[in-house]
Amino acid sequence: MIARLEHFAATHRWIWAALGVLLLWAALVIVTERFSLHSLTGVATSAAFLLIVALGQMLVVTTGRGNIDLSIPSVVTLSAYVTVIVSGGQDAALPLTLLCLVGIGCVTGLVNAFLVVVLRIPAIIATLASGYALATATLIANRQVKGMATADTLAALATGRLGGIPVIVLIGVAAAALTAFVLTRTAYGRQLSAVGQSLPAAWLSGVRVGTTVTIAFVASALLASVAGMLLSAYAGGAFLEMGSPYLLQSVGAVVLGGSLIAGGASTAVGTIFGALLLVLVITTMQIAGMPPGTQDIVQGLVIIAVMAFAGEARGRATPKEFRSGAGRNAP
Amino acid sequence: MTVTAASIVTAGGADGRADGSERPDAVVALGNVTKTYGSTVANDSVTLAIGRGEVIGLVGANGAGKSTAMRILCGATMPDSGSVLFEGRELDPGRYGPAEAHRLGIRIVYQELSLCPNLTVAENFYLEQPQHARPSPLWLAEYRRLARESLSSIFGDTGIDVAARVGSLPISQRQMIEIARAASSPGLKLLILDEPTSSLDAGRAAALHRFVRLQAAAGLSVIFISHKLKEVLEVADRVVVMRNGRVVWEDHAERTSVPALVEAMGGTRTAEAAGARARPPVPADAPVMVTLDGDLTSVLGRPVELRAGKIVGLAGLEGSGQKQLLHALFKASAGAGDVQRTGRVSFVSGDRQREGVFPLWSVLDNIAIGRTARRMPTAMVDRNADRDAVARWSGPLALDPERFESGILDLSGGNQQKALMARALISGADVVLLDDPTRGVDIGAKRDFYGLLREIAAERKLAVWYSTEDAEFLECDRVLVFRDGRIVAELEGDAISEDAIVAASFTAGEAGAGPERARSPGQASAAGRIFAAVPFVGLLIVFGIMAAMNPLVASAFGIELLLAPAVVLVLVALAQMFVIGGSEIDLGVGAFAGLVNVISATLLVSHPGFGALALAGGLLGYALMAVLIQARAIPAIVMTLGASFIWAGIGQTIQPSPGGSSPEWLPALFQWSVAGVPTPLLLILAAGALAVAIDRAPVGVVLRGFGSNPQALARNGWSPLRYAVVRYLIAGAFAATAGLYLTATNQASDINAGASFTLLSIAAVVIGGSQLLGGVIAPAGVVAGAVTLSLIGALLAFLGVGTDYNALVQGGLLVAILGLRTVVGWRRTDDRPA
Repeated sequence: MIARLEHFAATHRWIWAALGVLLLWAALVIVTERFSLHSLTGVATSAAFLLIVALGQMLVVTTGRGNIDLSIPSVVTLSAYVTVIVSGGQDAALPLTLLCLVGIGCVTGLVNAFLVVVLRIPAIIATLASGYALATATLIANRQVKGMATADTLAALATGRLGGIPVIVLIGVAAAALTAFVLTRTAYGRQLSAVGQSLPAAWLSGVRVGTTVTIAFVASALLASVAGMLLSAYAGGAFLEMGSPYLLQSVGAVVLGGSLIAGGASTAVGTIFGALLLVLVITTMQIAGMPPGTQDIVQGLVIIAVMAFAGEARGRATPKEFRSGAGRNAP
Repeated sequence: MTVTAASIVTAGGADGRADGSERPDAVVALGNVTKTYGSTVANDSVTLAIGRGEVIGLVGANGAGKSTAMRILCGATMPDSGSVLFEGRELDPGRYGPAEAHRLGIRIVYQELSLCPNLTVAENFYLEQPQHARPSPLWLAEYRRLARESLSSIFGDTGIDVAARVGSLPISQRQMIEIARAASSPGLKLLILDEPTSSLDAGRAAALHRFVRLQAAAGLSVIFISHKLKEVLEVADRVVVMRNGRVVWEDHAERTSVPALVEAMGGTRTAEAAGARARPPVPADAPVMVTLDGDLTSVLGRPVELRAGKIVGLAGLEGSGQKQLLHALFKASAGAGDVQRTGRVSFVSGDRQREGVFPLWSVLDNIAIGRTARRMPTAMVDRNADRDAVARWSGPLALDPERFESGILDLSGGNQQKALMARALISGADVVLLDDPTRGVDIGAKRDFYGLLREIAAERKLAVWYSTEDAEFLECDRVLVFRDGRIVAELEGDAISEDAIVAASFTAGEAGAGPERARSPGQASAAGRIFAAVPFVGLLIVFGIMAAMNPLVASAFGIELLLAPAVVLVLVALAQMFVIGGSEIDLGVGAFAGLVNVISATLLVSHPGFGALALAGGLLGYALMAVLIQARAIPAIVMTLGASFIWAGIGQTIQPSPGGSSPEWLPALFQWSVAGVPTPLLLILAAGALAVAIDRAPVGVVLRGFGSNPQALARNGWSPLRYAVVRYLIAGAFAATAGLYLTATNQASDINAGASFTLLSIAAVVIGGSQLLGGVIAPAGVVAGAVTLSLIGALLAFLGVGTDYNALVQGGLLVAILGLRTVVGWRRTDDRPA
């Protein structure tokens, strides 16, 4: 029985994040007494924004070799500004806004992929640099803002409810379901996992490695762009540093959810729980009245602690000989 | 075979020497050692004793268990059972590791080279014998002398430049350095040479043989592993044969012969090969799948056409262009170029670990990817269809379907290879490319494999097969023999024999420079020199433009004003440089400088003692990061990203908004001056000089070594943990100095002041000529790069460009330089161990 449970936990690594969510929520309900279903929707709403961004981060992380998309915060912020500027609060301007956002997502994703795939620049540096370029664009956009207004449709998406459930939560869950479907049921999911596990092996198996990696980067930028749009509608405007929290949190949600930071294995369900858990932790800190500085410290500690824990789990999943390369001549 | 393995062992035993563990004078001995990998028994109760002054020749086919036994002997692998004895004393298996073996005087020269390619010859000698280093700036001179003397004592005049980077030397010279380095260790008791002459010419090999005999006479014990059996008989006192993980045969060298050894190793398979050729003939009108032309076939003088239904072998010495042809065929298409191919292709690599298996997947998934890999990304995956398709191949492959759900790494090497073969077949390829697929595969799996090849041919597919074992070519219909990147001979049918292949590989065509033609070291270093000059030239250009626009820039006051902001970036960049030198990136270095800025402007002013303690705590935090990265295998990116939030959070907590003041004594630290030279210039030069000094010191050599070849250093007994801590402490100290400087000059602090320095520091390190893969750092270049980047902001202001564009220009510069390096091809050309 215990062995079977262990096996289940090893193959469904999101279970830990789900357990964490349950425990923390139960603790909150007991301690605060006032922590109701209402507060849960607040948590779910914040988690939904994070989830949309984290799903993109997860795809990039899955491409392996330590790839991480550091341009996400800049894409979120710029997209928020572009939404405010282009839509001007008018529904009529939404198609054009959407076109601009798709443009931002595609261009950023393609540029990142070009730097990584063609110029073979490590993803962390390529996306850091492209993020800085976007930051420049954001500074320029900041000067163009004349007024903050939100289009009705966007406001409905970001703050509206459908049958008591926030629309944004439904969007987040739908995005996660779609990602899960792509990862588990389509050829792309297999190809992505193959590339993440071993790029040379994937290439020799016939996987179009460049295309696979490119799709991941473009998807990440597009999702960040959508998140930026919705976030501007939720916050009723755009401000500099708006996307900053999503840098650490997107990575955090991915690793908390049980996806391997080394790539090759990821779970959309896990990322849902990872995002929820992270937001719950932050909410708890806010309820406890912790200053923002302490919240940052705790977030950093949580990520590092989870990585320290997962580092061992990774060690068990793959034999040591394989990881260290010591067994190269082993028969 | 006339004698069975068992009877041979008895024959050897009759000599009274077979049970070596009983030898009274044994220096080192293995006693009944067993080691299994998954279901493969790599060593099956191996017993082997090496006497003082004895040279043992160890032979056996690939996968016979020699390498495993040697790794156990030198502590790199822990046996499942059995004992390792040193001078008659049993070693504690829990404590016996590479470092302990090193201390006892056991050295191994590995088949895969274990030198650090980014270090010079002399520096590599230091890693082996650190005890000679004196605390002097000229400490390396001693090692240059040692390297020269060691090399010449074995090989005579080698012409090797001991101040050259090892990676820039040809492989034959690297092999000589490797041998000389191990052989020169003081206190050496046992020297294990694993294929030491594979890259040496006859003269050098003979010199090595003489050296081995001479050292043995002086009391050194040697294990000499080689596939060149004649060489083994010449050099060894006693020959030991391993097969299938066991010691099956041993005898005095003078009493044995090459044919006897061949038979003991597993015999020849001439009979089987004859069976292979009894296949029904391929019709002459079978379609041509591959056409080779141009330079490749210039020696033959005619194009080569390969038809469906054939097994074509690619023979020749290792590295003569066979692999290149396979990869060219994989990428080739019909109708263009010298290498043309029609039909679909699949590739089976014998380097299973690096190019074959997907370690996280089951056997089934590993095979089924062959069906999925080329599909449209949007295509659906049907696991049941996959299972059915895979099941069809389980028979011919002799793969038990019940094992489909187990992890691929649970299978033996031979079964993994069969799964990879199934992957290729399931893809429906018309052309199957095989890159030494039977490497390290046991004989049973090999036979299954040959049978499968015949079936592939029978299904009218073309198999193109590169092997490092000449005997395997007897399975082929046609063999192309390579030399120096060209096809020099073609053998068909009965003309295929090991002798014919060997003759063609060595003599056909003209003798050339060997297989190392890919890129001349001179070319690579020319590109390296150009990139090394980039930061300095850039600095001159930027400074020149600014001075031309405003002559005041070139005055002492102008320089002071311009360089003051650069000091912080120089310090942070030097911190980042040491981290990048270890193949890692510190995403929290800017935030840490900001935190030190805050602590020194608040706590250090109000409670000096507590403030100093807090600063020390920060450095301790850096050391702790190193410990966690090493001990828990956390990626440095995530670790430092998480840490950046911790640094920022602590800073925010101490001081929520900018403010504070500097301790009175702090500015004095940074505001001294010498003879009218601007202070910032002095500070920058001092920081650079310090970094250069650390980098050139022994500790810097070890850090660079860890950056490029950590396994080799660990084998040499260097502690990865200790040096990771040292690396991060150095980085932390530089970053902390940057924070103190911020406080001293701004007389205030802001936790966000350091944030922007993180990207800039990476950019400065890259522009400065360091390599992101680690091990190659350039302190002077980094300083110049940091100053240039810092001046670019001022230059943009001079040119009337808004400060908004700073980040864009700096980020663009970083990407441009990295991209250019890729385009020009200046990256590490040396082979990194995977």
